[in-house]
Amino acid sequence: MAEFFQQVVSGLGSGAIYAALALALVLIHRATGVINFAQGEMAMFTTYVAWALITNHGWDYWPAFVGTLVIAFLLGVGIHTVVIRPVERASVLTVVIMTIGLVLTFNGLASLIWSAEVRAFPSPFPNDTWQIGDVAISQQDVGTFAIVLALVTLLWAFFQFTKTGLALRASAVNPDASRLVGVRVGWMLAIGWGLAAALGAVSGMLAAPTLFLDPNMMQATLIYAFAAAVLGGIDSPFGAVVGGLILGVGLNLIGNYIDFVGAGLKLPVALLVILVVLLVRPAGIFGTPVTRRV
Amino acid sequence: MSRARLAVAALALAGAVATSAAASTDADPGVTGTTILLGGTAPLSGPASAYSSIARGAAAYFKYANARGGVNGRRILYTYLDDGYDPAQTVPATTQLVERDRVFAVFNSLGTAQNEAVRPYLNQSQVPQLFAASAATTFGRDYKRYPWTIGFQPSYRAEGRIYGTFLARTKARARVAVLFQNDAYGKDLLAGLKQGIARSTVRVIAAEPYEVTAADVQAEVAGLKASGADVLAIFATPKFATEAYVFAERLRWRPLVIVNAVSSASNVMTSAVRASAAGAVEGSISIVYLKDPTSRSWRDDVAMRLYRSIMARYARGANVRDVFHVYGMAVAYETVKVLKAAGANPTRAGVMAQVRKLNDPSNPFLLPGIVVRTSATDRFPVEQVLLQRWSQGSWSAFGGLWGYRAG
Amino acid sequence: MKRGELIRIGLFVLACIAILLLPRFISDFRAQQFAYVGIYFIALLGLNLLTGFTGQISLGHGAFMLIGGYTTAILISNQTPPLELFGHQFTSDMRDIWTIPIAGLVAGVAGFLFGFPALRLTGLYLALATFAIAVAAPAVVRRFADFTGGGGGINLFDVSGRTKAEVVTDPVTFESRELGVDVLGITIPSFNEWLYYLCWTLALVLLGVAWFLLRGRFGRSLRAVRDSELAAASSGVDLARYKTLAFGISAFYAGVAGSLLAIATTFVNPDTFPITLSIFLLVGVVVGGLGSLWPLVFGAIFIHFMQIEWAQSAERIVPNFVPLLGGIDTDLPGAPAVAFGVILILIMLASPGGAAALLRRLGAAITDAYGRYRARRTEAAS
Repeated sequence: MAEFFQQVVSGLGSGAIYAALALALVLIHRATGVINFAQGEMAMFTTYVAWALITNHGWDYWPAFVGTLVIAFLLGVGIHTVVIRPVERASVLTVVIMTIGLVLTFNGLASLIWSAEVRAFPSPFPNDTWQIGDVAISQQDVGTFAIVLALVTLLWAFFQFTKTGLALRASAVNPDASRLVGVRVGWMLAIGWGLAAALGAVSGMLAAPTLFLDPNMMQATLIYAFAAAVLGGIDSPFGAVVGGLILGVGLNLIGNYIDFVGAGLKLPVALLVILVVLLVRPAGIFGTPVTRRV
Repeated sequence: MSRARLAVAALALAGAVATSAAASTDADPGVTGTTILLGGTAPLSGPASAYSSIARGAAAYFKYANARGGVNGRRILYTYLDDGYDPAQTVPATTQLVERDRVFAVFNSLGTAQNEAVRPYLNQSQVPQLFAASAATTFGRDYKRYPWTIGFQPSYRAEGRIYGTFLARTKARARVAVLFQNDAYGKDLLAGLKQGIARSTVRVIAAEPYEVTAADVQAEVAGLKASGADVLAIFATPKFATEAYVFAERLRWRPLVIVNAVSSASNVMTSAVRASAAGAVEGSISIVYLKDPTSRSWRDDVAMRLYRSIMARYARGANVRDVFHVYGMAVAYETVKVLKAAGANPTRAGVMAQVRKLNDPSNPFLLPGIVVRTSATDRFPVEQVLLQRWSQGSWSAFGGLWGYRAG
Repeated sequence: MKRGELIRIGLFVLACIAILLLPRFISDFRAQQFAYVGIYFIALLGLNLLTGFTGQISLGHGAFMLIGGYTTAILISNQTPPLELFGHQFTSDMRDIWTIPIAGLVAGVAGFLFGFPALRLTGLYLALATFAIAVAAPAVVRRFADFTGGGGGINLFDVSGRTKAEVVTDPVTFESRELGVDVLGITIPSFNEWLYYLCWTLALVLLGVAWFLLRGRFGRSLRAVRDSELAAASSGVDLARYKTLAFGISAFYAGVAGSLLAIATTFVNPDTFPITLSIFLLVGVVVGGLGSLWPLVFGAIFIHFMQIEWAQSAERIVPNFVPLLGGIDTDLPGAPAVAFGVILILIMLASPGGAAALLRRLGAAITDAYGRYRARRTEAAS
């Protein structure tokens, strides 16, 4: 039983990381209708920036954290304006290919600038556990969960209660009507990308202490985030977060309790489970089902 | 000058040109009057890009050798192509090197599967597969079938056996848990370990494989801890090795750790320490055959000073603390020696003949006492290692040289 | 047939002749490179049929190539000890070219079967499902190592079933020379050329088949599915039938390409069909032009050359020291990836519709210019 709780808690920790990245994917999908394959690599790249701030420029952790969020936001806005906006009218696949180009570019740039060596990344939480009876709860996992929860709540409040948040939501749902009301839709979309990039940076910085910083650090996480977003409903931010947590916990439990699923099949099995869920509920758990009547 | 003398000079010149032209058509591809062309593949992109420093180190050493006169008056040109660690890319890249660029030899290509993929082709085309950068046993063991191929470093099987023998001699009745990569590399190490402990009281009580594509090894480490072992063998690549240390520490597990050479580079260990796993890392055991640029033992060593100066001059911006550069230079050094010994008109067959009778006790980048040696029946150039223990932030070697014939 | 179609067929025949004559004029090694381009071309044709013409995104065609490649490898390798499947021993050393249609069929059936559960998925969800397959396929191969050779893969270089060039070894100098490959009585001078002819013959045949399939009712139905499933269904198009067929046929193409890749590289293991292959195939389709056929060859050229040639071209194009960023050494890890990514982005910015769109614009510009020229001449004459 203690084992079970331990796996659940550690699953919530890794699930929070998937949730943050999944939320970023959903944000961009709602705003611009594309899946940003480069979300993981952008997260990795901004985490390297944080690392450089801390290691090469001597910043403390939290200032570096916030500074990276700002830099990530600007990066997101910049990418949207320079790379995505010109091809917005083109087919969805063209934009997808653009993001694939970004994947290659960011991955290569990280290698070029900082080399592919595996590096340690500091964590604001000690690498220790709290003992509650038989159960050892990792402080890292709890801290990760708390940070993501806090940020998601902040984001939700931003969308619900601020004018910009409202404008963002409007631009995503109905860009034409929003323009008519005077919303600068182009800028809203760019801000959406900026916020998503910042979320990705959070995901990266929380994952790095455990996964260690290298250019390929976020690739597996991106796949999990993608799966989580789809599981929760690709147009539901709440679903993305819940999907991430479910996925994190589920993966741990599956890997632990089902023997057939050895090291190699954990990811494919996870994806398979998600596909089964999709067969039953094609729009994801919290997604709005699209009914087609012919 | 009189017209007669001019004529004679012209004739002599023409004759010289003619004979040298004739000579060069007899030479093997890749050798001209002034250059020798070596080529290889390296993972400049993809999951193994950290190992590309090997090629960089070798390239820097070749440039240094060229600056000091080269090999019998020829400069060594070294070109390496990116195969992204994908054997399906290694094959076309290697055929490009052989058929279009006409290299003299394929040098130090990286990866076990990658080298295996091109081995039959290179042997059929009679192109030397020189010092393949893989510790898979097959490259030294199967020379009868593939006479044009040779590896360099101690094989994984031998390494595992050394760990096993060490445990058998020093830690009776130890219970060993093993984390290993689920491919030939990890399995080779595990098999060697089992061979080493075969007739002793040491037992492997748990072995967890992980896939290269895994996100992390948390579950596996937890499972190994649950077995109650007091020795943990980490047969994993650097990223997963550091993760294993971190998770072990998090679970408050501090067994005696044996970490394989691939992941024992100081920067890897230091990463783990920085990630608050100093406790788990302390006391780790590994083998070593290269001089570690971060080790205090070699700070004033002549060879390491040479290494740093070569890096400063020919590999600006590279991380000098990365031991893979040293590996590259060790192999390049041996190659220069082999090429020199091959004589004024090196041929591929001549080079392989030299490779079969290596006997070099003075490779400056290898630990003192290690002899690079091969013979007609022994195709493992480096078979000796030292054991080292991690203590208070650095490695220190202990004991004498261990030697093992693998296969 | 209309005049336009006759012209097209004529051009196609000309292209065939040109392609078949090309090896005379290029080096042996270039022939091998173009053989690889042909292999990717076949895979792209298949993928485009599914994605460009039927509107179903697939991020998993690398998996179908894997199925094709492994089918060929297993069939020609005559492994000892023999492979075991469900307790039966299995040996085979078929000649490699006969395994190509089999590989295609096996992959095609797999694709067709996958089409059924895929019916319920659209767009993004389908992309995820196909992505899952591409990730899972290498892992499954590793799992069933007894049958597939596992992580170590299967080396095909020495197997008897492989078509090899006759090699003659001089007993004195130990030098060997290729005598050539014997095909139906004709001797093709080298293995590389034989590979070229094999790949391009198949590519041209399959191109013709694709064109033929797509020009009639079948193609119209597929395009209807792509443009609007609702409208298509209302018009009586059986969505299920056409989608699964599209999956099956495109997987067949991928299987053939995978089989050829195995024959060309003489080695298969789980890493030779990584997820990046599936992604690059999609890239190739978009760069070539969605919904086009022969312009896909540009996509194939892009994929193949960017993966290998870049490293060498970079040294010629990019100076080794760029002062702004403190120096870019093109031998450094990451440089090839950055180049690939940046060039891809630039290509997409320049022509979002890919090579096909560019060609169409070019064609339109030429016809425009010609039209204006004629108009001016008739004006001048009158």
